[in-house]
Amino acid sequence: MPVFKLLSSLRLTVTLLGFAMVLIFVGTITQVELGIHEVQEKFFRSWLAWWDVMPGGKTFPIPIPGGTLLGILLIANLLAAHGARFKLSWNKAGMIVIHSGILLMLLGEIFSSLLGREAQMAVNEGEISNYSTFPRETELVVIRPDGDGLETVTAIPQARLIDGAQFPLGGFSLKIHSHYPNSEILPQSEAGETFDKTRATDGFGKAYAVRRTPRETADDRRDLTSAFVEIIPDGGKSQGCWLLSNAFKGGQSFEAAGKTWRMSIRQRRLYHPFSIKLLDFSHDRYLGTNVPKNFSSKIKILNPDTGENREDLIYMNHPLRYGGLTFYQAGFENNDSTSIFQVVRNPVWTLPYISCAMVGCGLLWVFSQHLIKAISRRNKLHPAP
Amino acid sequence: MSTLRKITAWLIPALCLLFIASAVFNATRPATGLDFKNFGTLPVVSNGRVQPLDSLARNALLSIHGKQRIPGDGAPATPAAWLAELTFKPALADTRKIFLIHHDDLLGLTKLTRGEEKSYSYAQLLPAFPALQPEARRIGATKSQTWSPYENALMLLTRNLTLYNQLKHALALPGQDQLESEFNIFLTHVSEALVEVGKQDRGGDFNQSAIDNASSRMRTVADWAPMTEVYTTPSGDGADGWRKLPDSLIDSIDKRALHPATLAYARIGDAYRTMDATAFNSAIKDYRTWLRENRSDHLKKASAETLFNGIAPFYLCMVLYVVAFLCAIVSWLWQGRTLRQAAFRVLLIGLTLHTIGLGTRMMLEGRPPVTNLYSSAIFIGWGAIILSTVLELFHRNAIGTAVASVVGFATLLIAHHLSLSGDTLEMMRAVLDTNFWLATHVVVITLGYSATFLAGTIAIIYLLRRPFAHIPKSTAASLRGMVYGVICFATLASFVGTVLGGIWADQSWGRFWGWDPKENGALLIVIWNAMILHARWGGMVRERGMMVMAVFGNIVTSWSWFGTNMLGIGLHSYGFTDAAFLWLSAFMASQLFIMTLGLIRERGPKPPLNSLELLG
Repeated sequence: MPVFKLLSSLRLTVTLLGFAMVLIFVGTITQVELGIHEVQEKFFRSWLAWWDVMPGGKTFPIPIPGGTLLGILLIANLLAAHGARFKLSWNKAGMIVIHSGILLMLLGEIFSSLLGREAQMAVNEGEISNYSTFPRETELVVIRPDGDGLETVTAIPQARLIDGAQFPLGGFSLKIHSHYPNSEILPQSEAGETFDKTRATDGFGKAYAVRRTPRETADDRRDLTSAFVEIIPDGGKSQGCWLLSNAFKGGQSFEAAGKTWRMSIRQRRLYHPFSIKLLDFSHDRYLGTNVPKNFSSKIKILNPDTGENREDLIYMNHPLRYGGLTFYQAGFENNDSTSIFQVVRNPVWTLPYISCAMVGCGLLWVFSQHLIKAISRRNKLHPAP
Repeated sequence: MSTLRKITAWLIPALCLLFIASAVFNATRPATGLDFKNFGTLPVVSNGRVQPLDSLARNALLSIHGKQRIPGDGAPATPAAWLAELTFKPALADTRKIFLIHHDDLLGLTKLTRGEEKSYSYAQLLPAFPALQPEARRIGATKSQTWSPYENALMLLTRNLTLYNQLKHALALPGQDQLESEFNIFLTHVSEALVEVGKQDRGGDFNQSAIDNASSRMRTVADWAPMTEVYTTPSGDGADGWRKLPDSLIDSIDKRALHPATLAYARIGDAYRTMDATAFNSAIKDYRTWLRENRSDHLKKASAETLFNGIAPFYLCMVLYVVAFLCAIVSWLWQGRTLRQAAFRVLLIGLTLHTIGLGTRMMLEGRPPVTNLYSSAIFIGWGAIILSTVLELFHRNAIGTAVASVVGFATLLIAHHLSLSGDTLEMMRAVLDTNFWLATHVVVITLGYSATFLAGTIAIIYLLRRPFAHIPKSTAASLRGMVYGVICFATLASFVGTVLGGIWADQSWGRFWGWDPKENGALLIVIWNAMILHARWGGMVRERGMMVMAVFGNIVTSWSWFGTNMLGIGLHSYGFTDAAFLWLSAFMASQLFIMTLGLIRERGPKPPLNSLELLG
């Protein structure tokens, strides 16, 4: 079958690897323009990538195969090649181990991009936190106080904030008027013509104008999500319009169904069944320099389900693995009194370790075979005196 | 082999050993007159680490002047002597023409005219400060990646002027000539004033002018402290427990006595000003005795580092590699066996010295061999030489020696240029502070670089020899075998190194792979090596094709090593004049040229492809 023959050929392997090099190279230099996150989406997790040869210039982009396409074709090529030439022998064993390891690594990357999650937790010294936030995602929350310090929180993910969408919340509903995935907010008096005038009739936002801006690409910048929302009591007249944004600190309150509610847009949260208390954050620098010598966070894990109450130390290269999550020391702010952890869930984190060992051993095995063959051939040609 | 030939094969290596011995003799010979050698061994803390004054002076001179020798008649002969002059006789040091200005716009700003040399003295630059400072503030507020060559040059000059001033204030306060008596007067006056303050608190009679006098002296010392970042006085434990000279003066008020280190620098300075060699040398000797009893670890480390600086083993290695290369090349034309053996022996001497140098650096830092770009260059050369020594032992045709010396020389030359940017034994940032990963990931991946460069260099020898002379079948076979074997090793090392890097990233940032430029660069090397092997196994390339591909490996590796660090400067018009970027581009262009040479077909019938060839 010609298709199978092509699919299992070494020629295809070399071609695909060549395309992979082009993709990786272009994906590297494009990071200067687009930032690492957008490049990951557009180049490495896509079927087809567009290479803008002269960014900003008047050229048309060139299409190149994307990471997903190349990955799938490489896996198919690998399986087909081994399927076509499979033979269990000591000579072939090394190659089979190497390629199984590579297959495992490719699959590991696919699974970790599907199943993995990355969030952040910022805790002040002496305080407790039981949630992490996603730095690149926001949510709209409406909070109903239930007495005794309890609250009912309704969180609407950013993806559902579509202009005109309406959410019934028991006694009233909330209508989205305009949603800005990323925006700039300025006091009305300072805003230029390009800004939209406020539609808010209540809350902080009455005096502010909003402008739509492109999503942030840099690693250290966050989107400022904003939306105008209207509160409409069931069967009644509109209660007014508010401007919500994660640029505003704290929530805005309104009266509905006989209660005082609060609402805001904030980074999307991931609640944990346990809490982390930051006992102490320390950050040393080398004498006479600004070069950090070490960061470390002394924390306490509080888990009401298991009754755990123990101390631990998180520092560079020594993360805490707990409850299927891994906490890494990622940063600090507020004059070294707030510690920021990267919180990662990656159920397949062990795969790279296994595949590295497999490929490493396999390569060693195959190349030793080559070396032994080369030496014995040389001895045959020039027999030792 | 005749006796004469045997002697010749040993004569060249023996001369090389003599050359090394003379360098070691020079570095260890006791000094005459003012003993700047021992002055240079005195430990201080700067840049976060304990280092000898000698290193402080050398690195500052390299950064400011680009070399360690100062021009002009009667100029200090060594970096340590220059530091003594700078801090004890600043007015004289200010006339030494050491500040380099290459950029014409910067020269225009300073209102200086281009003389024969491109160096200017501090005194010449002083009138330009009012023009330089606002420019430096303006540029400092912008991102360094966007700086133009002029802005880079201006910021470099500003940084060097700051460094110069910091060293000037490190061991003495300019303007005070009699340091020992000044320090003692300070101590007496402040102690007396404290008694007067006590009287004042109790409501009795007190001497106001004594208090005013002492507080003005205190202000002078307090203003001095922020002017330097050199910590001269060991006080608490470890490298963090050192104090600056002015701070130690303030500390001495409580103890009612000067710290031995403070006293020593005062005496050294006074003796230097009067050129009193006996007093100068005995003050240093006394302080070294005190250090030996109280801070023997820091003194030992500083002395070892000074000796290392003085011998400069990597410079000697470069000379040896040139000798080895010349012998190897000549051996292909004349006196084959004799010169080949001589070349290999010289190479081994160089390798031994290279290893000692690398080992000393590891000992001084207490770290695995590769900790920064500078040490990666040293280690890439070392790894390539080890691999080619194995090849030479296996093939015995001087190719291994020639290639080893080329790669060794080139990487040490690169290292020399990297050392101009400052302290090469700098401390590690927190995230890198792990000997386990530095010893595994970094070492393995750097060996991958070594091997890829080595394969590329052997291939260059093949491709450059081809147009001039027919390569005999046996030589071609051995070159092919070498390139193939080294590529196999490169694949193994670069793969394992890259994946270990991913695992380290997983340990410290929580992600295995993030597609960042350095990771991608490493992956490109792995894929390229894998591509060469698959193309060879699939019969898509044969001997010549594999050589051409191996040369392209040099481009891929240099991109990963340097190119990825230049992203953000190299891609926009303003970055194109950056010197490192130009060198990298020139290197890549030269490799492309050699590859083009390799694509030209040889006349004559195509040799048949057989299975033996396929296996390399």
